[in-house]
Amino acid sequence: MSAPSAGLVAHLLADARLPVAGHTQSATLEPALVAGLPADRIPDYVRLRLRTVTRVEAATAVVALSHQRSGRDLRPVVEAWQARTPSAAMRATARTQGKALLRLVARLWPESAAVHAVAALSAPPRPIVLAAAADAGGLSPVALAGLVGYDDVQTVISAALKLTPMDPVVAAQWVHHALPEVDTLAVAVATLTRPGGIPASGAPQIEAWAEAHAVTPRRLFSA
Amino acid sequence: MPDSPTRRTLRLGVCGPVGTGKSSLIAMLCRELADRLSLGVITNDIYTDEDARFLRSAGVLDPARIRAVETGACPHTAIRDDITANLMAVEDLEADFAPLDLVLVESGGDNLTATFSPALVDTQIFLIDVAGGGDVARKGGPGITRADLLVVNKTDLGPYVGVDPAQMVSDAGSVRDGRPVIALSAHDPASIAELVAWVIGRLAAHRDGSLHPADPGPMAPHSHGPSHEGHGDHDHDHALAADHVH
Repeated sequence: MSAPSAGLVAHLLADARLPVAGHTQSATLEPALVAGLPADRIPDYVRLRLRTVTRVEAATAVVALSHQRSGRDLRPVVEAWQARTPSAAMRATARTQGKALLRLVARLWPESAAVHAVAALSAPPRPIVLAAAADAGGLSPVALAGLVGYDDVQTVISAALKLTPMDPVVAAQWVHHALPEVDTLAVAVATLTRPGGIPASGAPQIEAWAEAHAVTPRRLFSA
Repeated sequence: MPDSPTRRTLRLGVCGPVGTGKSSLIAMLCRELADRLSLGVITNDIYTDEDARFLRSAGVLDPARIRAVETGACPHTAIRDDITANLMAVEDLEADFAPLDLVLVESGGDNLTATFSPALVDTQIFLIDVAGGGDVARKGGPGITRADLLVVNKTDLGPYVGVDPAQMVSDAGSVRDGRPVIALSAHDPASIAELVAWVIGRLAAHRDGSLHPADPGPMAPHSHGPSHEGHGDHDHDHALAADHVH
């Protein structure tokens, strides 16, 4: 069997139909709306994430890919991600998502050394696992970073359709409008190779919402 | 992780419409079985962890053995299409409390069409109740017609809601092609014993390898010829054949 193109693998990994429990995630949109974020500001929320918490995730993934392709230890990358993700709730979510993704990539690329390296880590977060999938699937750093950004946008917007229903073509238009920002993010982090270069671009308000959500007894989405 | 064919734990799904008594049935099974089996429970609540809290407060099981999964307003998806979150929760529970004999997975109360994927549970109970109306069983649906067990719950309420439980069970039996139906009431010890015996029987079948997880299916039964009528557990490879019309 010949290997598929990296472009098609990227499509596969970005597909909401991927069995990784994506339907349980709102990218912290649910507590944001509970806290009073107006529905018409959701596009701004998406942009805020791309410039802050999602930037940390994308940069982490790119640096992990660099470490994998040059045979360097992944643990310093995980530590750098932890240090830049101060919300315990968000770290727990990323680890749960990483576990779900690892189930899948271990099935798709059972022979991949990168997948084996990630599986040997203790509860690797999603960007680290996604980097292994990118390595196995032949994705470039910029494609990987774009994938992280794109998935985040789609997670917010598809949760928005559940939480504040609207004409779905409006939601798709929001995604479309956010794509240049995803490109900007991808290009900005694609050249990173060292953990120290991962930006510490947290968003205290998003982190506070994530923390509040983790302890609320009423929620539709896991996070 | 692929399942080992010798996995000890039986995974039992409980599904059915909102308010039919899924949480109470699970509490009942915990009460009846906790002294002889090692149990765990996963709940799929739609908006709250209400069901998990109900079960924890029922005092029938160590609260740590009861875990809730959020479904992102997709209770159907979480038990059928993308079972990842549930499967991870089941595997974690089995690992944390090994060896477990039985994990009960409660679906988020959805509607008459939601049933479990056989990749998530080994066997499943579909629950309806007399208060939902006597015609529910006749209307059918994948859970009513093809779940491994159909429970008609709250039979003691029959006189108050103008439904004859015996007729309802008979209607259900007529669409189930011989599959079991239990008329259950929390006030009828004999019916509880019947339910417990069914669960114990499924566990024994799981252990001896004779239990083959079957999909009740989302679709109406379709005929593949006389020998296959109505069975959901056969290979569907041929379903892609061009001349196959659903």
